[in-house]
Amino acid sequence: MEPQLRNNDLQSQASSISLPVLDMSQPHTFLKPAKRINEGHDVPAFLTSRAYSDIGVFIMQLNIAMCPRKSSESGGTRTWQLDGTNVLSGPVQQLRELLQKIDSIIEEAPPDTGPRRFGNVSFRKWYEILESRVQALLETHLPRAVLDVSASSDGTSVLEELTPYLLGGFGSAQRLDYGTGHELSFLAFLGCIWKLGGFSTEKSQDGELERSLVLGVIEPYLRVVRRLILTYTLEPAGSHGVWGLDDHSFLPYILGSSQYCPAISEGDSMPVEGALPGAPNPGDIAKKNVVERERKHNMYFSAVGFINDVKTGPFWEHSPILFDISGVRSGWGKINKGMIKMYNAEVLSKFPVVQHFPFGSLFSWEQDPNALPVSASVHTASQPTSHPPSINATTSRPSQATRAPWADSKGGGEGPTPAPWSQKHPAPPQTGLPPTRAPWATSAAGQLPVRSERNSGMPPPPPDGPTKAPWLNQR
Amino acid sequence: MSDLDRAIAQLRACRPIPEAQVRELCHKARELLIEEGNVVTVTAPVTICGDIHGQFHDLMELFRVGGDVPDTNYLFMGDFVDRGFYSLESFLLLLCLKVRYPDRMTLIRGNHESRQITTVYGFYDECLRKYGSANVWRYCCEVFDYLALGAIVLGASTSLGESKGLRPEQSSSTQQEIDEGIEIELLNHLGGVIDRFPRGQAKHVTRGSPSTKSSSSPATKTGPPGTAASGYSRGTAGNSSGAVLCVHGGLSPLIDGIDKIRLLDRKQEVPHEGAMCDLLWSDPDEIDGWGLSPRGAGFLFGADIVKVFNHANDLSMIARAHQLVMEGFKEMFDNSIVTVWSAPNYCYRCGNIAAILELSEDGSGESMLARSNGEVNRSDGGVMKGSEKVLLAGPARRYRVFQAAPQDSRGMPAKKPVADYFL
Repeated sequence: MEPQLRNNDLQSQASSISLPVLDMSQPHTFLKPAKRINEGHDVPAFLTSRAYSDIGVFIMQLNIAMCPRKSSESGGTRTWQLDGTNVLSGPVQQLRELLQKIDSIIEEAPPDTGPRRFGNVSFRKWYEILESRVQALLETHLPRAVLDVSASSDGTSVLEELTPYLLGGFGSAQRLDYGTGHELSFLAFLGCIWKLGGFSTEKSQDGELERSLVLGVIEPYLRVVRRLILTYTLEPAGSHGVWGLDDHSFLPYILGSSQYCPAISEGDSMPVEGALPGAPNPGDIAKKNVVERERKHNMYFSAVGFINDVKTGPFWEHSPILFDISGVRSGWGKINKGMIKMYNAEVLSKFPVVQHFPFGSLFSWEQDPNALPVSASVHTASQPTSHPPSINATTSRPSQATRAPWADSKGGGEGPTPAPWSQKHPAPPQTGLPPTRAPWATSAAGQLPVRSERNSGMPPPPPDGPTKAPWLNQR
Repeated sequence: MSDLDRAIAQLRACRPIPEAQVRELCHKARELLIEEGNVVTVTAPVTICGDIHGQFHDLMELFRVGGDVPDTNYLFMGDFVDRGFYSLESFLLLLCLKVRYPDRMTLIRGNHESRQITTVYGFYDECLRKYGSANVWRYCCEVFDYLALGAIVLGASTSLGESKGLRPEQSSSTQQEIDEGIEIELLNHLGGVIDRFPRGQAKHVTRGSPSTKSSSSPATKTGPPGTAASGYSRGTAGNSSGAVLCVHGGLSPLIDGIDKIRLLDRKQEVPHEGAMCDLLWSDPDEIDGWGLSPRGAGFLFGADIVKVFNHANDLSMIARAHQLVMEGFKEMFDNSIVTVWSAPNYCYRCGNIAAILELSEDGSGESMLARSNGEVNRSDGGVMKGSEKVLLAGPARRYRVFQAAPQDSRGMPAKKPVADYFL
């Protein structure tokens, strides 16, 4: 698909690589997305799959599109801000309306006022309403080009393939949580539309289409998600507490840091250091007044502003990772590059996050013949190898505080599954929802014992190792 | 001043102690803990605390509210580490206090006191950041393996004793009125009475949600208990109550008596399944019997399980932690089990209040003779005698609730070298 991708320096090509649009003159065989990552060992296979390659390419093209451009007019630099006047194409406008309708379901499912532990059970009602309407919503709001794609005779429709990615983008009704796995699912939903030519079949003009996606769909999506989190006090899926980048999101840190990079010309690669003149200092994320000002324009600050909305206490204490990153001296370019590497290692390479991602014809489990072998890094070397059979079972119970990292949990990217109870369990399954809810704490998408070596007494290898995003340069 | 006292003073100031000192401390702690049984016997009066999760300043607030060590006898039910910024300082301080005052400090193991969990949920990262190597993390994990799995509190009175630790301005009026018939008393962080529930009050009070819907601000109202005192208790005021089992998570289908816990080989990493795992991972839930836990470890267990277990083991109550409760504590199943949570505004955002549970001393001194709780051969194997459940008198419970410590005077640290991603 992208034969040269991994063999060359993507940095120098980033502006020209984009997710390919399929040739729709031929009937396409859609597939109902299915879970493929069942164990820790499956993660390396994911990292050499076509889906992984496509996700990487899609993120890189969105990323570079948000980078300021040198311009002969307007003071020599063009930037794109959240509150700017951004022209949105028809398909983007349609998706924006879809998000507005999804957002307004909150009105129909007010938060429950009864006793609860943390997450609000009314989120399940919200989710049920979404599920019941998703077909009609997609038929109304998806681009014609997508709806009209002719499917092969076996019968799986385009909507059957796309719907799970959209539904998977809004958290887990079972666990009442939301995390980066859900964010990834929504990104894949947009990627599907892209591949089907729903945004355009023409080549994007210097990132114009991608920008319109980021500003017109992704940022509005993040706003819906933040409202859901606040309304239903959704747990952070897989929270590491203060030791994670952010309790819920990752993409705004990538795309927002790109907004502050030094301006480039069309065809240039992504800057790896420096900053746009006039951009705030990275250290300003700890200054409330600067955050309040910048969150209106910039995705990075918008995400930090949301942290300030939900957390109390000193910023350096509740968000030490972001605080440390704010000390980077080589500017937003360096931060942007680091965020992409970190996303690859902490999101795409983590079993608890990606285990829920389903694969179909568009984001395919098929191995990419050009993928470089995945080196055994700290992120992939010691994935959970197995889990008690019982834990494959899904229940209708909500999530609890800490999940066992070795547990395979039911994921966000899929529809509700039946609750096959384990044979090893001494008790029959219970049904119905509990009167109280689990703590907020973690999550759901659980955690990855990447570095754990049970009973070994040995320390895990140092975290944050040298893993690089393979779609970045390989130097 | 001994080295240990100096270490305590340094940790109280929230400053980590040198690696060599940690090593020595952990060595001493292991020698002490290895002598403890899987189920430690503790005599009332005792103050029982739930999850701390590295919230150091809130732990200091807990000591302000509950009284300092060694004036107050403490029992912490695990989850000292992970998620918070100060797991290291919090755990080492508790460990120092354990070594310094072994009879006034009981620490039992939580599911986070584990190599695998701490590498995922933050404590490992924290040690690496604060010491530049994983040595301290390794020393701590070696201590984790020796922590007891549970504790049994004997000699708790069915009536509330005098409240200690009151602030002078609060101590005048309320305590003289202590009614012998009070089963549950709820106090604020200053020792002022919020609510009282007499014994025999059968009514179940269902509490509303916390006063704040937004997770951005901590709850200001401290509601009464999740469940009021019930009519099941039959204690005569002033007598000792049944014993109280303290464990981090809950029960296990493999454990029908406390003796079975005593037989486990605990000195290992927490296994992924089995009795030891269940004790640290399970949760009570509104179900019949046992259920699959959504955590992927341990089980859910219903009221029937708890009542049979308590009856078979002469327990009046189980105290456990492990789950955030917005009001700080929550009694369930006709007061046969309580969840105690001691990390206020959990993770800087949950808006919950924290609680500690005080059990006072039975003045008669007969409890130790009258009961043989948890001793060998005491279990009747979980068989209920007759259909009528005869539950032992619950101990009188004094819950003190408190909010997150004020954030003044926490200076901003220098930025640390950032992760490799950003080099």
